[in-house]
Amino acid sequence: MTKRLISIVLLGLGLLAGSASAWAEGPELPAAGNNLRDQASLQRGAHLFFNYCVGCHSLKYLRYSRMAQDLGLTEQEVLKDLDFTGARFDDPVITHMPATVASKAFGKVPPDLSLEVSAKGADWVYAYLNSFYLDPKSPIGWNNTILPNAAMPFPLWKLQGEQTAVMGKDGKTVEKLQLSHPGEMTPAQYRQATRDLVNFLAYASEPAALQRRKYGVWVILFLVLFTFLAYLVKKEYWKDVH
Amino acid sequence: MANEVVDQGRRRFLTVTTAVVGGVGVVTAAVPFIKSWEPSARAKAAGAPVTQSLKKIESGQQLIVAWRSLPIFIVNRTSAQLAALPKQDPRLVDPTSTGTSAGQQPKYAQNETRSIKPEWLVMIGICTHLGCVPNYVGQMKPEPFDPNWQGGYYCPCHHSRYDMAGRVYKGVPAPKNMQIPPYHFVDETTVQIGVDPKGAA
Amino acid sequence: MANAFIRWFDERVPGLAPVYRKHMTEYYAPKNFNLWYYFGSLALLVLVNQILTGIFLTMNYDPSATGAFDSVQYIMRDVEWGWLIRYMHTTGASLFFVVVFLHMFRGLLYGSYKKPRELVWVLGMLIFLALMAEAFMGYVLPWGNMSFWGAKVITSLFGTVPVIGKGLEQWIVGDYLPADATLNRFFALHVIALPLVLLLLVVLHLAALHEVGSNNPDGVDVKHGPKGNRWDPLKPADAIPFHPYYTVKDLVGVGVFLIVAAFIIFFAPTFGGWFLEHDNSIRANNLVTPAQIKPVWYFTAFYAIVRMVPSFAGTAVWGVIAMFGSIALLFALPWIDVGKVKSIRYRGTGYKVALTVFVISFFSLMLIGMDLTDTLFPKIFGSDIDITTWDNVFGRIMTVAYFGFFVFLWLYTHLGWEKTKPVPERVTTHD
Repeated sequence: MTKRLISIVLLGLGLLAGSASAWAEGPELPAAGNNLRDQASLQRGAHLFFNYCVGCHSLKYLRYSRMAQDLGLTEQEVLKDLDFTGARFDDPVITHMPATVASKAFGKVPPDLSLEVSAKGADWVYAYLNSFYLDPKSPIGWNNTILPNAAMPFPLWKLQGEQTAVMGKDGKTVEKLQLSHPGEMTPAQYRQATRDLVNFLAYASEPAALQRRKYGVWVILFLVLFTFLAYLVKKEYWKDVH
Repeated sequence: MANEVVDQGRRRFLTVTTAVVGGVGVVTAAVPFIKSWEPSARAKAAGAPVTQSLKKIESGQQLIVAWRSLPIFIVNRTSAQLAALPKQDPRLVDPTSTGTSAGQQPKYAQNETRSIKPEWLVMIGICTHLGCVPNYVGQMKPEPFDPNWQGGYYCPCHHSRYDMAGRVYKGVPAPKNMQIPPYHFVDETTVQIGVDPKGAA
Repeated sequence: MANAFIRWFDERVPGLAPVYRKHMTEYYAPKNFNLWYYFGSLALLVLVNQILTGIFLTMNYDPSATGAFDSVQYIMRDVEWGWLIRYMHTTGASLFFVVVFLHMFRGLLYGSYKKPRELVWVLGMLIFLALMAEAFMGYVLPWGNMSFWGAKVITSLFGTVPVIGKGLEQWIVGDYLPADATLNRFFALHVIALPLVLLLLVVLHLAALHEVGSNNPDGVDVKHGPKGNRWDPLKPADAIPFHPYYTVKDLVGVGVFLIVAAFIIFFAPTFGGWFLEHDNSIRANNLVTPAQIKPVWYFTAFYAIVRMVPSFAGTAVWGVIAMFGSIALLFALPWIDVGKVKSIRYRGTGYKVALTVFVISFFSLMLIGMDLTDTLFPKIFGSDIDITTWDNVFGRIMTVAYFGFFVFLWLYTHLGWEKTKPVPERVTTHD
């Protein structure tokens, strides 16, 4: 009876885990589909971040040296291709734009992105990067369906091109976005680029993720061996009881 | 279900094996905790090598920079100060730094001037007695603590004295010559403290 | 040589060896313990884990409002193996409640709270209370946005008390809203005060248990059965020495538990956001409340009760009273349920139904507290329903069901409605 109860509970938990999520409710998000084990993708993502994002956004909890170690980059490569602020190799990634300047330009300080993927989820960030559109009513000329009236202009417009909104029947809600002006990348290439960028940010949120799975395999194998041995001991001693 | 004969041998073998495997697990589990006491990335970053330009240091002048929270004395020694060094040998505890001060400097600084280039002294400014920071007294004129002062260092705490190569005089509380840190010349006018020269021991 | 040391020690502390014998090798426990009996030793294991990992976290944690959040990232990234120590601590915290809930449920299944074990049960409930306080304060320490808002909401529950509420709330918080003062005192309580209280209570809990002896799945008192087993002619026939038999058995339980824990720590440390909430990756911000503010999963059922009881007469204190009541009733179980038969195996059908309803109500209340009904209900009943109304109706029914369990149990056993099955003379073992 207990065994049946356990199976029912586990089944219930499984269904629950599958259907419900701990993410904030909102529109269905496309899957980012990023893979932390794809180091080439992480490197491309890093390049994109340092070319298009670090002008305003910091990753203050991530050190260049840690990034080099985890992404398989040399100190030379990092200091030449990625570090444009003249920071030391073991310094954290800090944007050069002073907060006061950013505040004046955008109305708010561009947030640090070290934990953005932890907080919002890879899917959300991926959707956000793919959902900018031209909006003549906005003071910065851009808007975003995932974060309406965001203070952020679109830094990747050269790559993606420009999207415009197709409004719904009520004239107020955005029904869908269409590419009105192509960019340097095809839509598929751009989606991959944002996937790489999100992959890099996911890594930045939790660098330990790259190693913990490896250790986990060994730990669990060891524990299985130990439990098996403990079980044999139990069976041996309990011969006395039966 | 009947009372079988207890195979004590098997019982002992299984118990010992499980205990050993369990012990290995416990020791392995302890490793991350013990390693967490190693200097963190932040500590290592703060202790990273320090690069210093020598351009602005005039002859006879001392500049103090921080490396791993230690004061590093960088002195542009005058020719007079350098000439006085060999003459101090009889008054010093370990003039060649091969005796009690053998461990106080890298091999490339185990010489008369205790440096790579003769005129540039790069030294950890901590008195080897009880850790105060000695004063630089570079002028070669009579001092209250030494009528025949040839330039060097005077520690305010317990009055230990060192020459212009950081070598300790006889008859003072400090036992050893002041330490020379690992360092090397990046170019003619720049030193980096914390890294030995390439190919050095 | 080990024996020589033991003899040397015994000559100087003669009282120690008898204690070891009394609580291990000569503590006779019924031989029919089943799956439900693993969770006590597992709770002890998790307690040890929390203390060990907690000590190491404290070495690098900064308990100031300005430094706390950064120090957690420092531990996760800069401290060697800091990420593992932290994940062991957060996973342990959630698994502590899984284990403790199952441990308490065992008590409900087999009547472990009944005479003569009322004190064991009360001490256990005190541990549960202390554990909830400990967990709540621990969660505030990272000073993420959930930490801050969790502190704000829970301390404001105290503010609902009439007359003294506002003063009480401010006294607990130490400022006009959760701030540095709050964080510092929660740190002191979480790291020293409550762990000492917990350790003391656990010792008393085990001492009280060993005085009266363990219950078992049949609810049959082994002391009333025949005497004499193969280890001691005076001890119950159906009991076995705790050491080595239950120590080796519990070791297997430990192994299985550690495998589960390792899966979570190494492969899913946030457990989808349920063990480490996403909003806590954002620094504490007193101007922005998280969109989906909710307590950590182990508090959600009790929190749902607070939400379900409406305010009236100008105060929201009724929900708070109901929440404390839901735990107080658990304390009072030995005096609510006076049925003579301990184990569910031989109790009336009414009890089985009532307990099932209780479990369903608890899980349902958890669903409400976790805001999962907000997505589940539209999926099942259509997207145009009014969530708030459905939540309230469902939640209130389940709240009534939860309290109804205790009301029913009182009537059932005090008015003689229960029809029990015959209880066996001796324990039944299923091999």
